Amino acid sequence: MPLLSIENLSISFETDEGVVDVIDDVSISLEEGETLGLVGESGCGKSVTALAVMGLLPKPAGRVTGGVIRFEGRDLTQLTSEQLSRVRGDQVAMIFQEPMTALNPVHRVGKQLGESYRLHHPNASKAEIRSEALRLMDHVGIPAAERRLDEYPHQLSGGMRQRVMIAMALSSRPRILIADEPTTALDVTIQAQILELLRDLQREYGMSIIFITHDLGVIAELASRVVVMYAGRIAEEASVETLFASPLHPYTRGLLDSIPRLESESKSVLPTIPGVVPSIDELPVGCRFSNRCEFAQDQCSINKPLLELATESRTVACLRWRELEQNAVATA
Amino acid sequence: MTSYFVRRFLLILPTFIGVTILVFTLTRLVPGGPIERMLNEAALAGAEGSTTISAGIDGRGGSVLSDEQIEQLKRYYGFDKPVILSYFDWLGKVFTLDLGTSTRYTEPVWETIKSRLPISIFYGVATLILTYGVCIPLGIVKAIKHKTAFDNVSSALVFFGYAIPSYVVGIACLTLFAANLEWFPLSGFVSDDFDDLSTIGKALDILDHAALPLVAYLAGSFAVTTMLMKNSLMDNLAADYVRTAIAKGMAFRRAVFAHACRNSLIPLATSFGNTITLVITGSFLIEKIFNIDGFGLLGFESLVERDYPVVMGILVISSLLFLIGNILSDICVAFVDPRVKFGSGGSNQ
Repeated sequence: MPLLSIENLSISFETDEGVVDVIDDVSISLEEGETLGLVGESGCGKSVTALAVMGLLPKPAGRVTGGVIRFEGRDLTQLTSEQLSRVRGDQVAMIFQEPMTALNPVHRVGKQLGESYRLHHPNASKAEIRSEALRLMDHVGIPAAERRLDEYPHQLSGGMRQRVMIAMALSSRPRILIADEPTTALDVTIQAQILELLRDLQREYGMSIIFITHDLGVIAELASRVVVMYAGRIAEEASVETLFASPLHPYTRGLLDSIPRLESESKSVLPTIPGVVPSIDELPVGCRFSNRCEFAQDQCSINKPLLELATESRTVACLRWRELEQNAVATA
Repeated sequence: MTSYFVRRFLLILPTFIGVTILVFTLTRLVPGGPIERMLNEAALAGAEGSTTISAGIDGRGGSVLSDEQIEQLKRYYGFDKPVILSYFDWLGKVFTLDLGTSTRYTEPVWETIKSRLPISIFYGVATLILTYGVCIPLGIVKAIKHKTAFDNVSSALVFFGYAIPSYVVGIACLTLFAANLEWFPLSGFVSDDFDDLSTIGKALDILDHAALPLVAYLAGSFAVTTMLMKNSLMDNLAADYVRTAIAKGMAFRRAVFAHACRNSLIPLATSFGNTITLVITGSFLIEKIFNIDGFGLLGFESLVERDYPVVMGILVISSLLFLIGNILSDICVAFVDPRVKFGSGGSNQ
């Protein structure tokens, strides 16, 4: 049984133009100890899905309209806010994209770090909280941790702040860590350090990670299984190796093609997917990728492709994936 | 940071001189003055029953005083010297804490001002406490209950009060509650028999008299601070770090108070130091309506009566308080926001 399973999740947002279905029938399962990559361009619904797991959808605009999020026998969407508070930060923790704004600028780092420990250990003494905070800071590789505890977030660099966020998330030894683009705002070198840290910590704590990113390079390094999302639906799911070796969905193919390669000819044009992710109030009927897909036919803008098993361990939602796969094999 | 504040304090002096030199010169340039006022009074006394009041002021010929007497008076008040010289005379006295003598009350300016202080401080402190005491909690509740009936109704009320001029509120209250219903006294700061009352009686007497003026003072004062608090809190509630706090497992309500509130007070802190000027605030119109002998009335009357020593005395105190208030505001901001480091090298990233 998976540790966390999202089943047929639908989420709608109330906008000025009316109610829009942002997430449509998304199912994802997360196994104990695995790292699941959630990939897609900006605006694909990756973060919204993650926020729904945490019960952090912006209120009152966002609402779960269907499906369940099952964790340890409970449906997280049905919990009261009090029950949810006990799960959040304790069993399921989350780190965010912007370490610059994710910490409160007017409170000392140590206080914010200790707070997350105190919330789930209400009887802890002050000294206990501080030594735990110190231990965590040390653990995530922050030098001079003792001094850093008494500093304010603006005195720390972006990478340091993200380390503090990770330390905060780890304070209760969560079973699931949701990392929402945790390295996007960081320099490449810092990015590598943070990924390294996450990998080490996962090994040590044995937790499962949902890693959200638009960077396939990061996915290749970290994840074992990948879910590709497009415009609020799942396009394709496969193991990392399979996905990189033989993408089935034209969107996945487009994403992989737009990674610059060392062996490509110099000064050649980097392929891109034309257009942008449609905004939520002007989604195409049928396949939501149809207006950007080079293989789209008339049926694509009429019929909604359902997620189907392509092989035993991978799924894809494309009306033409069989012919496209044969073509790909033929040209290869 | 210390050097920043030392610099700020040193800057008070030139600013102060600039402000006072400007007003001092203005008082000399505008027509009228203590001498003309005296001539006027003398003329009035001379022509009892006369309806043409202005007759005595025009032309020296009709004056009741001789030219020599006028020259004497001018010398007495220092009007015979050039503006700049008499300004420095005045300034020199100010530095020895001598504000001069009121031409209207013929007592030291400081005494005149001092007698009004308790009244102004009372109303200043009362409005300060009531304004912040209402605005901050109200702003917090409105932010949490954004777009609910409570939010809309309280916004309507607050802006309704803001839209009505305070003197209209004052007159309306006075007519209704004091004149018609006779719930409150008509005017004054205390009753005539104030000195005979017990301590509790005194307090009640002051409150009895203060109720209506305070309503007039406060009616319009809620809107700005409440909306500032509400909007600033809403910004902070939407901030990432509040989401972080909730993601840590903190209840929303607690996150509001533990995380969002302090950040929301920063915009309020930028003007908090200026409340030090409450010592000398007071609306002339409200004081006039309720017959309160406060600063507003004193300032206005001394201007009308050309009582320049008092005008300048009030200016000295108000400009100093205002300048110090600005610095206090900076200190307040630095106190609530650790990111603020005035002047020095910035953060050590």
